[in-house]
Amino acid sequence: MTSIAVVGVSHLTAPVEVRERFAFTDKEAISVLSGLQDRSGIKEAVLISTCNRTELYLCPGSDPDILETGEAVLSEKAGDLIGGAGQYLYRLQGLESVRHLYRVVSGLDSLILGEAEIQGQVKSAYELAGSIPVTPSLAGPVLHRLFQTSFSVGGQIRSSTPIGEGAGSVASVAVKLARKIFGDLNGLQIMILGSGTMAELVVEAMKRDHVAGLIVANRKHERAQKLAERLAGKTIPIDEMLLSLDQTDILVASTGAPHALITLDDFRHAMGGYRKKPILILDLAIPRDVEADIGDEDNVFLYNVDDVREIVDGNLIKRQASVVDAETIVQDHAETFAKWHDTRNVVPLIKSLRSRWGDLRKSELDWLWQQLSHLSEEDREIVDSFSKRLLNKLMHEPTTRLKDGIVNGLGSEFISAVRYLHALDDVDLDLDHEGNMSDSIGEFKEPWNNLSKMGPDLAEESEEHESNE
Amino acid sequence: MIHVFVLLLYIGSLILWFNSLLTGGRGRGPHIAFGMAAVGVLVHAVALVLFTVSYGELPLIGLASSLSTLALVIGIGLLATLGMGEGLRVGIVIIPVVIVLQGIAVSIGFEPSYRTLDFQGVWFVFHVTLAFLGLCGFAVAFAAGLLYLVQFRELNSKRLGRIFQFTPPLATLDRLVRTGLVIGLTAFTIALALGWAWTVSFRNSLDHTNPKVIWAVLSWIIFVLALGSRAGGGLKERRSALMAVIGFTLVILSYLILQLISFSGGSSL
Repeated sequence: MTSIAVVGVSHLTAPVEVRERFAFTDKEAISVLSGLQDRSGIKEAVLISTCNRTELYLCPGSDPDILETGEAVLSEKAGDLIGGAGQYLYRLQGLESVRHLYRVVSGLDSLILGEAEIQGQVKSAYELAGSIPVTPSLAGPVLHRLFQTSFSVGGQIRSSTPIGEGAGSVASVAVKLARKIFGDLNGLQIMILGSGTMAELVVEAMKRDHVAGLIVANRKHERAQKLAERLAGKTIPIDEMLLSLDQTDILVASTGAPHALITLDDFRHAMGGYRKKPILILDLAIPRDVEADIGDEDNVFLYNVDDVREIVDGNLIKRQASVVDAETIVQDHAETFAKWHDTRNVVPLIKSLRSRWGDLRKSELDWLWQQLSHLSEEDREIVDSFSKRLLNKLMHEPTTRLKDGIVNGLGSEFISAVRYLHALDDVDLDLDHEGNMSDSIGEFKEPWNNLSKMGPDLAEESEEHESNE
Repeated sequence: MIHVFVLLLYIGSLILWFNSLLTGGRGRGPHIAFGMAAVGVLVHAVALVLFTVSYGELPLIGLASSLSTLALVIGIGLLATLGMGEGLRVGIVIIPVVIVLQGIAVSIGFEPSYRTLDFQGVWFVFHVTLAFLGLCGFAVAFAAGLLYLVQFRELNSKRLGRIFQFTPPLATLDRLVRTGLVIGLTAFTIALALGWAWTVSFRNSLDHTNPKVIWAVLSWIIFVLALGSRAGGGLKERRSALMAVIGFTLVILSYLILQLISFSGGSSL
């Protein structure tokens, strides 16, 4: 009885060597999504594939076959895995799947709590699904609403809680520091000493901010060349790095050298006495590559690996403290979505109801005009307006209660009663094999309002009681 | 009444700035605080126009009205930072300066001065407005300089807390200090030249012992020193920020003291 489902694998269920087996390129994602509507009655689908997760969102998600199809799609991509791909997959339906996407977009489900990049990645995945030329669109009304609301939930959580505050990784600390010193990183020169993984991640993050030039200095030329090619930089022998230091704005050091590669004397000599413009030095090596005294020089901002780690840890503690507030926002919005979702099912019924009574109003007015043919045009307009107002007032309460009834889980019996009472049997409603609204999502049953569980007598008595009041 | 309302708008803006500081400048907080300051500036301008219309006197002559005009010009200086990204966060320092000036003006009371000045007319308006523009540039440099020193300290302390998050980048702040000083010094120099020319033409000589003349010359020297501190090597940006902070504090305090003494003694501006 749920209309959205998600099948996925993430850093919480699988190690990186397994996750990479599930990863889709955009081309592969388009190919898979394009063929989905031919399988198991899937109408809408979005595939998210990042380094930490691969998730397939499907609508409708009520049919078990659809979940199986989703699992099959991901398992086919992973290929043969010892023990099978299924052991790494999670399957969520209905409200859980809505809550899950909201948590993902907000960074609550991320490897680094609160990281912001995921929101952009999810947006790209959603846009990719919407760009596939199939009819109806894979980013149809339900998933469109789901993803759009997820972006606003992510935005709200990031602006109203400290979950994204500070930097949550060494690379993001480095970028943040650089931005707070230089403002715009566009046009800055960056030099990387060695080729440690952490330094590479830092440089990759900075390249995304359009630093102008990258110099890689490494003892092993081949390795430096490889890294420089990947990051669109140039290489120099490590012995010549002091010659380029004067023009460098950001230095990331991460060699395995057993002693400092840049001493205070080297630095002063390279700078021609003193540093004339700011330089950010990130010494991520152990033992350190840059002598600590250099940090006391004018215009030098030197951070070693412990400094950066301390900043990251401090930020993560602050982020952790905001999880409860963030989860509350997620839950509130998930419930709001579920209410929207459930009430949209009743729209065709309400439309039919209005149409039926509208037709009746018109036919009765035609009869009235024949009886009161002496009425002036002005009087007729007044009577016409009166009939419209009366109809609107009569329809208002039943319409509101119809919507509320669905939200409160009154289900198919309630719908059937309305259809029967108003002779709307021809209205096409999407009911599942259990007779429930097939794409109902919410679980908001309120016992005090659950009329569907009352017998006919009790319901009648209740109505009498209400009217007596 | 409208002047009190203006003051309340600025105070509201300051509360929003501090609230934004507490959240590390997250979300739209700084823009909302800036927006409220902008509303304050707009209403402030209307209030001074109404003053001019009501009393037939420019708000450059009386003590309260001239302080209020200076506050308005400094507020406009804040609005000019809109295109500088995080640079607009100098509002957290500029708005208190505006509040102090407007607060003094409100407490004195807005009344026409009915003074007869040595020189009036369009050149007088130029003279005072340019002098205020000079002080406005200095105020922006002061605010940016203060935040520069704070951010510099944060970066060296390696704490990177909410103050670090809120405070704009050093490069942006340095640009604001430089721009504020250059515009301020240029305007102030022209204002002094105009003042000198009029005094000489009206009185045939400049009274070198007049406290206002001494203040003007000393302020100009402080301006020059603040801008000159950018020359040379070492931490020239930090030096310049520090000079802007010290310089503006001296200039504005001495200006306030001078104005208060001048008006209590009955001499004209």
